[in-house]
Amino acid sequence: MAQQRALPQSKETLLQSYNKRLKDDIKSIMDNFTEIIKTAKIEDETQVSRATQGEQDNYEMHVRAANIVRAGESLMKLVSDLKQFLILNDFPSVNEAIDQRSQQLRALQEECDRKLVALRDEVSIDLYELEEEYYSSSKADADSWAPEQSPWPEHLMDRQFTATIRPEPFPPCRGMEIIGRLVWRRLSLENGVPQDRGALLWAELSGP
Amino acid sequence: MATYSLANERLRALEDIEREIGAILQNAGTVILELSKEKTNERLLDRQAAAFTASVQHVEAELSAQIRYLTQVATGQPHEGSSYSSRKDCQMALKRVDYARLKLGDVARTCEQMLEN
Repeated sequence: MAQQRALPQSKETLLQSYNKRLKDDIKSIMDNFTEIIKTAKIEDETQVSRATQGEQDNYEMHVRAANIVRAGESLMKLVSDLKQFLILNDFPSVNEAIDQRSQQLRALQEECDRKLVALRDEVSIDLYELEEEYYSSSKADADSWAPEQSPWPEHLMDRQFTATIRPEPFPPCRGMEIIGRLVWRRLSLENGVPQDRGALLWAELSGP
Repeated sequence: MATYSLANERLRALEDIEREIGAILQNAGTVILELSKEKTNERLLDRQAAAFTASVQHVEAELSAQIRYLTQVATGQPHEGSSYSSRKDCQMALKRVDYARLKLGDVARTCEQMLEN
Protein backbone atom coordinates (compact mmCIF):
# COMPACT_ATOMS: atom_id res chain seq x y z
CA MET A 1 0.00 0.00 0.00
CA ALA A 2 1.40 3.41 -1.04
CA GLN A 3 0.31 5.29 2.05
CA GLN A 4 1.16 2.71 4.68
CA ARG A 5 3.04 4.19 7.61
CA ALA A 6 5.62 2.56 9.76
CA LEU A 7 3.36 1.16 12.45
CA PRO A 8 4.69 -0.28 15.66
CA GLN A 9 5.35 -3.97 15.34
CA SER A 10 2.43 -4.94 17.55
CA LYS A 11 -0.14 -2.95 15.54
CA GLU A 12 1.30 -4.19 12.24
CA THR A 13 1.20 -7.76 13.49
CA LEU A 14 -2.31 -7.29 14.79
CA LEU A 15 -3.63 -6.00 11.47
CA GLN A 16 -1.88 -8.80 9.60
CA SER A 17 -3.45 -11.32 11.95
CA TYR A 18 -6.87 -9.80 11.21
CA ASN A 19 -6.26 -10.27 7.50
CA LYS A 20 -5.16 -13.86 8.01
CA ARG A 21 -8.17 -14.67 10.18
CA LEU A 22 -10.48 -13.18 7.55
CA LYS A 23 -8.93 -15.21 4.72
CA ASP A 24 -8.93 -18.44 6.76
CA ASP A 25 -12.53 -18.12 7.88
CA ILE A 26 -13.87 -17.27 4.42
CA LYS A 27 -11.88 -20.17 2.94
CA SER A 28 -13.20 -22.52 5.61
CA ILE A 29 -16.82 -21.52 4.94
CA MET A 30 -16.50 -21.90 1.17
CA ASP A 31 -14.57 -25.18 1.26
CA ASN A 32 -16.81 -26.87 3.79
CA PHE A 33 -19.95 -25.76 1.98
CA THR A 34 -18.60 -27.03 -1.34
CA GLU A 35 -17.68 -30.37 0.19
CA ILE A 36 -21.15 -30.77 1.71
CA ILE A 37 -22.70 -30.16 -1.71
CA LYS A 38 -20.32 -32.74 -3.26
CA THR A 39 -21.07 -35.27 -0.53
CA ALA A 40 -24.81 -34.88 -1.17
CA LYS A 41 -24.29 -36.36 -4.65
CA ILE A 42 -25.60 -39.89 -4.91
CA GLU A 43 -22.93 -42.23 -6.26
CA ASP A 44 -22.89 -45.75 -7.52
CA GLU A 45 -22.12 -48.42 -4.99
CA THR A 46 -18.53 -48.40 -3.85
CA GLN A 47 -16.48 -50.81 -1.79
CA VAL A 48 -18.53 -50.27 1.34
CA SER A 49 -22.24 -50.87 1.52
CA ARG A 50 -24.71 -48.08 0.94
CA ALA A 51 -25.68 -47.97 4.61
CA THR A 52 -22.09 -47.59 5.72
CA GLN A 53 -21.44 -44.96 3.09
CA GLY A 54 -24.56 -43.14 4.21
CA GLU A 55 -23.40 -43.16 7.85
CA GLN A 56 -20.00 -41.87 6.81
CA ASP A 57 -21.52 -39.10 4.69
CA ASN A 58 -23.83 -38.17 7.55
CA TYR A 59 -20.93 -37.84 9.99
CA GLU A 60 -18.85 -35.90 7.46
CA MET A 61 -21.68 -33.46 6.80
CA HIS A 62 -22.15 -32.91 10.53
CA VAL A 63 -18.47 -32.10 10.94
CA ARG A 64 -18.39 -29.80 7.93
CA ALA A 65 -21.55 -27.99 9.07
CA ALA A 66 -19.95 -27.51 12.49
CA ASN A 67 -16.86 -26.13 10.75
CA ILE A 68 -19.01 -23.63 8.83
CA VAL A 69 -20.65 -22.48 12.06
CA ARG A 70 -17.28 -22.23 13.82
CA ALA A 71 -15.90 -20.14 10.95
CA GLY A 72 -18.98 -17.91 11.10
CA GLU A 73 -18.49 -17.37 14.84
CA SER A 74 -14.82 -16.62 14.27
CA LEU A 75 -15.82 -13.99 11.70
CA MET A 76 -18.19 -12.41 14.25
CA LYS A 77 -15.34 -12.26 16.76
CA LEU A 78 -13.15 -10.67 14.10
CA VAL A 79 -15.80 -8.01 13.45
CA SER A 80 -16.00 -7.33 17.19
CA ASP A 81 -12.20 -6.94 17.37
CA LEU A 82 -12.28 -4.61 14.38
CA LYS A 83 -14.94 -2.47 16.06
CA GLN A 84 -12.80 -2.19 19.16
CA PHE A 85 -9.71 -1.34 17.12
CA LEU A 86 -11.70 1.25 15.19
CA ILE A 87 -12.98 2.97 18.30
CA LEU A 88 -9.51 3.17 19.82
CA ASN A 89 -7.39 3.95 16.79
CA ASP A 90 -9.53 5.71 14.21
CA PHE A 91 -8.15 9.16 14.97
CA PRO A 92 -10.14 11.17 12.40
CA SER A 93 -13.47 10.04 13.85
CA VAL A 94 -12.25 10.36 17.45
CA ASN A 95 -11.11 13.93 16.71
CA GLU A 96 -14.43 14.77 15.13
CA ALA A 97 -16.36 13.29 18.05
CA ILE A 98 -14.28 15.31 20.54
CA ASP A 99 -14.75 18.53 18.52
CA GLN A 100 -18.49 18.10 18.29
CA ARG A 101 -18.84 17.33 21.99
CA SER A 102 -16.71 20.36 22.91
CA GLN A 103 -18.84 22.56 20.64
CA GLN A 104 -22.05 21.34 22.26
CA LEU A 105 -20.71 21.94 25.76
CA ARG A 106 -19.39 25.40 24.85
CA ALA A 107 -22.75 26.38 23.36
CA LEU A 108 -24.53 25.25 26.53
CA GLN A 109 -22.09 27.19 28.69
CA GLU A 110 -22.55 30.36 26.63
CA GLU A 111 -26.31 30.05 26.87
CA CYS A 112 -26.14 29.65 30.66
CA ASP A 113 -23.91 32.69 31.01
CA ARG A 114 -26.11 34.75 28.68
CA LYS A 115 -29.18 33.95 30.75
CA LEU A 116 -27.35 34.71 33.98
CA VAL A 117 -26.29 38.11 32.66
CA ALA A 118 -29.87 38.87 31.59
CA LEU A 119 -31.12 37.77 35.01
CA ARG A 120 -28.55 39.95 36.71
CA ASP A 121 -29.62 42.98 34.71
CA GLU A 122 -33.29 42.40 35.57
CA VAL A 123 -32.63 41.83 39.26
CA SER A 124 -30.41 44.90 39.46
CA ILE A 125 -33.24 47.04 38.04
CA ASP A 126 -35.66 45.68 40.66
CA LEU A 127 -33.18 46.14 43.45
CA TYR A 128 -32.51 49.68 42.34
CA GLU A 129 -36.25 50.44 42.66
CA LEU A 130 -36.39 48.75 46.04
CA GLU A 131 -33.48 50.76 47.22
CA GLU A 132 -35.06 53.98 45.95
CA GLU A 133 -38.27 53.16 47.77
CA TYR A 134 -36.51 52.25 50.94
CA TYR A 135 -34.23 55.25 51.18
CA SER A 136 -37.04 57.62 50.37
CA SER A 137 -39.24 56.21 53.16
CA SER A 138 -39.47 57.96 56.52
CA LYS A 139 -38.19 54.95 58.46
CA ALA A 140 -34.92 54.77 56.56
CA ASP A 141 -32.92 56.62 59.19
CA ALA A 142 -34.90 55.59 62.23
CA ASP A 143 -33.79 52.03 62.85
CA SER A 144 -30.59 50.14 62.77
CA TRP A 145 -29.75 46.47 62.88
CA ALA A 146 -26.82 44.59 64.06
CA PRO A 147 -25.35 42.91 61.04
CA GLU A 148 -26.27 39.42 62.25
CA GLN A 149 -29.94 40.43 62.55
CA SER A 150 -30.29 41.55 58.96
CA PRO A 151 -32.99 39.61 57.12
CA TRP A 152 -31.29 40.13 53.77
CA PRO A 153 -28.93 37.52 52.44
CA GLU A 154 -25.36 38.51 52.04
CA HIS A 155 -25.38 38.39 48.26
CA LEU A 156 -27.72 41.37 48.07
CA MET A 157 -24.92 43.41 49.53
CA ASP A 158 -22.68 42.15 46.81
CA ARG A 159 -21.83 44.78 44.23
CA GLN A 160 -21.86 42.17 41.53
CA PHE A 161 -25.66 42.36 41.56
CA THR A 162 -26.00 46.13 41.57
CA ALA A 163 -23.70 49.04 41.89
CA THR A 164 -26.11 50.98 44.08
CA ILE A 165 -26.70 48.60 46.97
CA ARG A 166 -24.85 49.79 50.01
CA PRO A 167 -23.01 47.41 52.27
CA GLU A 168 -24.96 48.42 55.40
CA PRO A 169 -27.71 46.00 56.41
CA PHE A 170 -31.37 47.10 56.06
CA PRO A 171 -33.15 47.94 59.33
CA PRO A 172 -36.55 46.41 60.03
CA CYS A 173 -39.41 48.70 59.09
CA ARG A 174 -42.39 49.04 56.88
CA GLY A 175 -39.82 49.28 54.11
CA MET A 176 -39.60 45.47 54.14
CA GLU A 177 -43.23 45.26 53.25
CA ILE A 178 -42.80 47.80 50.47
CA ILE A 179 -39.76 45.98 49.15
CA GLY A 180 -41.62 42.70 48.99
CA ARG A 181 -44.60 44.29 47.27
CA LEU A 182 -42.41 46.01 44.72
CA VAL A 183 -40.72 42.75 43.77
CA TRP A 184 -44.01 40.91 43.35
CA ARG A 185 -45.57 43.80 41.48
CA ARG A 186 -42.68 44.07 39.11
CA LEU A 187 -42.72 40.37 38.41
CA SER A 188 -46.52 40.40 38.06
CA LEU A 189 -46.46 43.29 35.59
CA GLU A 190 -43.82 41.67 33.47
CA ASN A 191 -45.58 38.36 33.40
CA GLY A 192 -49.12 39.79 33.24
CA VAL A 193 -50.51 37.42 35.85
CA PRO A 194 -50.58 38.83 39.40
CA GLN A 195 -51.55 35.60 41.10
CA ASP A 196 -49.60 33.15 43.20
CA ARG A 197 -46.45 34.95 44.14
CA GLY A 198 -44.52 31.86 44.99
CA ALA A 199 -45.31 30.14 41.72
CA LEU A 200 -44.52 33.33 39.86
CA LEU A 201 -41.11 33.67 41.35
CA TRP A 202 -40.24 30.03 40.91
CA ALA A 203 -41.31 30.20 37.28
CA GLU A 204 -38.98 33.13 36.89
CA LEU A 205 -36.14 31.32 38.60
CA SER A 206 -36.59 28.02 36.84
CA GLY A 207 -36.36 29.55 33.39
CA PRO A 208 -37.34 27.65 30.19
CA MET B 1 -26.14 10.06 18.14
CA ALA B 2 -26.58 11.92 14.89
CA THR B 3 -23.68 14.21 15.63
CA TYR B 4 -21.00 11.49 15.69
CA SER B 5 -21.59 10.61 12.05
CA LEU B 6 -18.13 9.64 10.92
CA ALA B 7 -17.49 7.21 13.74
CA ASN B 8 -21.01 5.82 13.61
CA GLU B 9 -20.88 5.25 9.86
CA ARG B 10 -18.04 2.76 10.07
CA LEU B 11 -19.46 1.07 13.15
CA ARG B 12 -22.82 0.79 11.40
CA ALA B 13 -21.08 -0.78 8.38
CA LEU B 14 -19.50 -3.35 10.68
CA GLU B 15 -22.89 -4.10 12.24
CA ASP B 16 -24.32 -4.64 8.74
CA ILE B 17 -21.47 -7.08 8.08
CA GLU B 18 -22.40 -8.97 11.25
CA ARG B 19 -25.99 -9.27 10.04
CA GLU B 20 -24.74 -10.45 6.67
CA ILE B 21 -22.63 -13.18 8.29
CA GLY B 22 -25.81 -14.41 9.96
CA ALA B 23 -27.54 -14.33 6.57
CA ILE B 24 -24.65 -16.38 5.07
CA LEU B 25 -25.18 -19.17 7.59
CA GLN B 26 -28.93 -18.94 7.04
CA ASN B 27 -28.53 -19.32 3.27
CA ALA B 28 -26.11 -22.26 3.67
CA GLY B 29 -28.62 -23.98 5.94
CA THR B 30 -31.47 -23.40 3.48
CA VAL B 31 -29.44 -24.87 0.60
CA ILE B 32 -28.53 -28.00 2.56
CA LEU B 33 -32.13 -28.38 3.76
CA GLU B 34 -33.39 -28.13 0.22
CA LEU B 35 -30.85 -30.73 -0.93
CA SER B 36 -32.03 -33.13 1.75
CA LYS B 37 -35.56 -33.23 0.25
CA GLU B 38 -36.59 -35.88 -2.19
CA LYS B 39 -37.97 -33.41 -4.64
CA THR B 40 -35.76 -30.33 -4.71
CA ASN B 41 -36.86 -26.94 -5.91
CA GLU B 42 -34.04 -26.11 -8.28
CA ARG B 43 -34.84 -22.45 -8.66
CA LEU B 44 -34.84 -21.90 -4.89
CA LEU B 45 -31.63 -23.89 -4.65
CA ASP B 46 -29.87 -21.81 -7.29
CA ARG B 47 -31.15 -18.56 -5.80
CA GLN B 48 -30.01 -19.42 -2.28
CA ALA B 49 -26.64 -20.70 -3.47
CA ALA B 50 -26.06 -17.52 -5.50
CA ALA B 51 -27.07 -15.40 -2.48
CA PHE B 52 -24.69 -17.39 -0.29
CA THR B 53 -21.76 -16.89 -2.67
CA ALA B 54 -22.50 -13.18 -3.17
CA SER B 55 -22.79 -12.58 0.58
CA VAL B 56 -19.50 -14.35 1.30
CA GLN B 57 -17.69 -12.28 -1.34
CA HIS B 58 -19.29 -9.06 -0.10
CA VAL B 59 -18.32 -9.75 3.52
CA GLU B 60 -14.75 -10.52 2.48
CA ALA B 61 -14.49 -7.32 0.42
CA GLU B 62 -15.97 -5.11 3.16
CA LEU B 63 -13.81 -6.51 5.93
CA SER B 64 -10.70 -6.21 3.76
CA ALA B 65 -11.58 -2.56 3.10
CA GLN B 66 -12.02 -1.89 6.81
CA ILE B 67 -8.68 -3.51 7.64
CA ARG B 68 -7.02 -1.52 4.84
CA TYR B 69 -8.47 1.73 6.22
CA LEU B 70 -7.28 0.88 9.72
CA THR B 71 -3.80 0.15 8.40
CA GLN B 72 -3.77 3.65 6.90
CA VAL B 73 -5.08 5.63 9.90
CA ALA B 74 -3.70 3.74 12.87
CA THR B 75 -0.60 5.34 14.36
CA GLY B 76 0.09 2.99 17.21
CA GLN B 77 -0.05 5.86 19.68
CA PRO B 78 -2.85 6.36 22.18
CA HIS B 79 -5.20 9.23 21.47
CA GLU B 80 -4.69 11.91 24.10
CA GLY B 81 -7.45 14.34 23.16
CA SER B 82 -10.43 14.90 25.39
CA SER B 83 -13.38 17.22 25.87
CA TYR B 84 -12.64 17.53 29.58
CA SER B 85 -11.92 21.28 29.60
CA SER B 86 -15.16 22.26 27.86
CA ARG B 87 -17.06 19.79 30.04
CA LYS B 88 -15.60 21.41 33.15
CA ASP B 89 -16.46 24.91 31.91
CA CYS B 90 -20.02 23.80 31.19
CA GLN B 91 -20.26 22.21 34.63
CA MET B 92 -19.12 25.45 36.26
CA ALA B 93 -21.71 27.41 34.24
CA LEU B 94 -24.44 25.05 35.46
CA LYS B 95 -23.17 25.46 39.01
CA ARG B 96 -23.40 29.25 38.59
CA VAL B 97 -27.01 28.92 37.44
CA ASP B 98 -27.85 26.68 40.41
CA TYR B 99 -26.19 29.11 42.80
CA ALA B 100 -28.10 32.07 41.35
CA ARG B 101 -31.35 30.09 41.62
CA LEU B 102 -30.58 29.22 45.24
CA LYS B 103 -29.86 32.79 46.21
CA LEU B 104 -32.90 34.18 44.43
CA GLY B 105 -34.92 31.58 46.30
CA ASP B 106 -33.54 32.97 49.55
CA VAL B 107 -34.59 36.48 48.52
CA ALA B 108 -38.08 35.25 47.69
CA ARG B 109 -38.43 33.48 51.03
CA THR B 110 -37.21 36.57 52.87
CA CYS B 111 -39.69 38.78 51.01
CA GLU B 112 -42.53 36.39 51.87
CA GLN B 113 -41.53 36.36 55.52
CA MET B 114 -41.49 40.12 55.63
CA LEU B 115 -44.91 40.32 54.04
CA GLU B 116 -46.31 37.82 56.50
CA ASN B 117 -44.92 39.69 59.52
